[in-house]
Amino acid sequence: MNVVSDPDPQNALSFNAIRQNFPGLAGEAPLSVLNDISFNVPRRKFVSVIGPSGCGKSTLIQIAAGLLKPTLGKVLHNGSIVTGVNRTIGFVPQQAQLLPWKTLMENVEFPLLLRGIKPAERRARAQEAIDKVDLSGFELHYSHQLSGGMQKRVSIARMLVYKPDTILMDEPFGALDAQTRMVMQHDLQAMLASEGASVLFVTHDITEAVMLSDSVIILSRRPARVLAEVSIDLPRPRDMFEPYTIPGFAEAYDRVWSIFRSELNVKRAA
Amino acid sequence: MTEQLTTHAAGTRSLRRALMSFGRTLLLVTPGVIMLVAWQFASGRLVREAYISKPTNIARRLYDLFATGEIWPSLKVTGEELVLSYAIGVVAGLLLGYALGRSPRLARVIEPYVMAFYGIPKIALAPLFIIWFGIGIWSKVVLAGTMVFFLVFYNVYAGVRSVDREVVNLALVLGANERQLGRHIYLPAAAPYLLMGMRMAIPYAVIGVIVGEFTSSVAGLGLFINYASSTYDPASVFAGIFILLAFVMIMNALASRLEKRLLRWRPPSQNVSQEAS
Repeated sequence: MNVVSDPDPQNALSFNAIRQNFPGLAGEAPLSVLNDISFNVPRRKFVSVIGPSGCGKSTLIQIAAGLLKPTLGKVLHNGSIVTGVNRTIGFVPQQAQLLPWKTLMENVEFPLLLRGIKPAERRARAQEAIDKVDLSGFELHYSHQLSGGMQKRVSIARMLVYKPDTILMDEPFGALDAQTRMVMQHDLQAMLASEGASVLFVTHDITEAVMLSDSVIILSRRPARVLAEVSIDLPRPRDMFEPYTIPGFAEAYDRVWSIFRSELNVKRAA
Repeated sequence: MTEQLTTHAAGTRSLRRALMSFGRTLLLVTPGVIMLVAWQFASGRLVREAYISKPTNIARRLYDLFATGEIWPSLKVTGEELVLSYAIGVVAGLLLGYALGRSPRLARVIEPYVMAFYGIPKIALAPLFIIWFGIGIWSKVVLAGTMVFFLVFYNVYAGVRSVDREVVNLALVLGANERQLGRHIYLPAAAPYLLMGMRMAIPYAVIGVIVGEFTSSVAGLGLFINYASSTYDPASVFAGIFILLAFVMIMNALASRLEKRLLRWRPPSQNVSQEAS
């Protein structure tokens, strides 16, 4: 747990000159993944990171969660340096990663159980989180009895239940079908509006990044550096089901895409 | 009217279910019955009865053994050996498998030794165990316990190592300490493997105990069978074997119940022994 020595009033997370090398295969040079990454996640803001696949987006999440120590540079969470596993941050992994031997309710209660909270309070808070993600009635189901979208909701409830002020989401909707994904985006926006949390969201989907974010960080190919930070000033709440009807969406999308495409080597259609 | 209809429908349904379950039971026992009948027929006609006895004789012998109480001392000794060796082997295998699974550093040092000992045919050690632990129950407990231990050890070890690093990382961020990781992640993940090992170990426990008793003993079913075969009494040999069979079946049934309790979270298709439904 981080001691908040000098809480940064402005930024929930700040990445300062992060470099990350991974040891290369035998006899090869180390692989440089992140090359001098600096950006902030301002308090109560939603920041997305997009970049070509394999550019190290998820590595940033690992570093912020304290699961990986950067080769150089530091991450500050609420003004203090992340040194060990960051137990105060919310984490929604790529796969839902529910514990199959626990029921839905037990999975959501799990973070509270780990914190030694009494059963009655645990149950009440878990129920509240389950209601919030719209899964009441499924409390006693095991994960193999739930659909992919439902499992994802459980993993969000499990994160909301301990009320973190900062949330890390690592391509959480990547594995879902297009319809479920839109519903999840819609619900996420609604949930976050009431939570007031700061979010770092990793994705490779430009529409998703533009629709959800206050600001989009675009990374280059490996070794990744920050190409641009585009702020998205579309009014909220945004209609996730009809992005193209939102005034300003097309322009925002274009600004992100024009920078992103330079990394993909795509030829403009004649 | 509607009520009548539904009760009627429910009645038909339960009748059909009863018939189906009867059909399944019939299917299950038919091969066994055919074997027994063929055995009974062949005995004295195709094969000399002195070699294979016959089911009716064996049944009579079994009845006598229990009615006179002649078998009880043997049953008690072998039962004790089985329960002790199985319990000790399972507990030791679980403890060491879990410890090595959690600590790769420890595993690097110890695993090669375990592997080497695993390669020794345990039966070859039976005479040595008799010298070390005497002709009483403990030589048999150690022999059978070693066999059980290895099966449980390897399964638990594999189970603990099968845990995905990402699940562990997630649990850490959610607030887990080392002890909680064991209790909520590693042990439940290893449970299906543990049960698989326990199930595989059942026949080996019986083999270990019987081989030990064959080698040298003062009491037990192995001694009973060995004595019967050396005095040309095939009915008694088969009676002893049927009793062993009953032991294995009872232990299997207990393992199934444990499995159902511990693994009720698993989707039905993944269960090792599927419920007949």
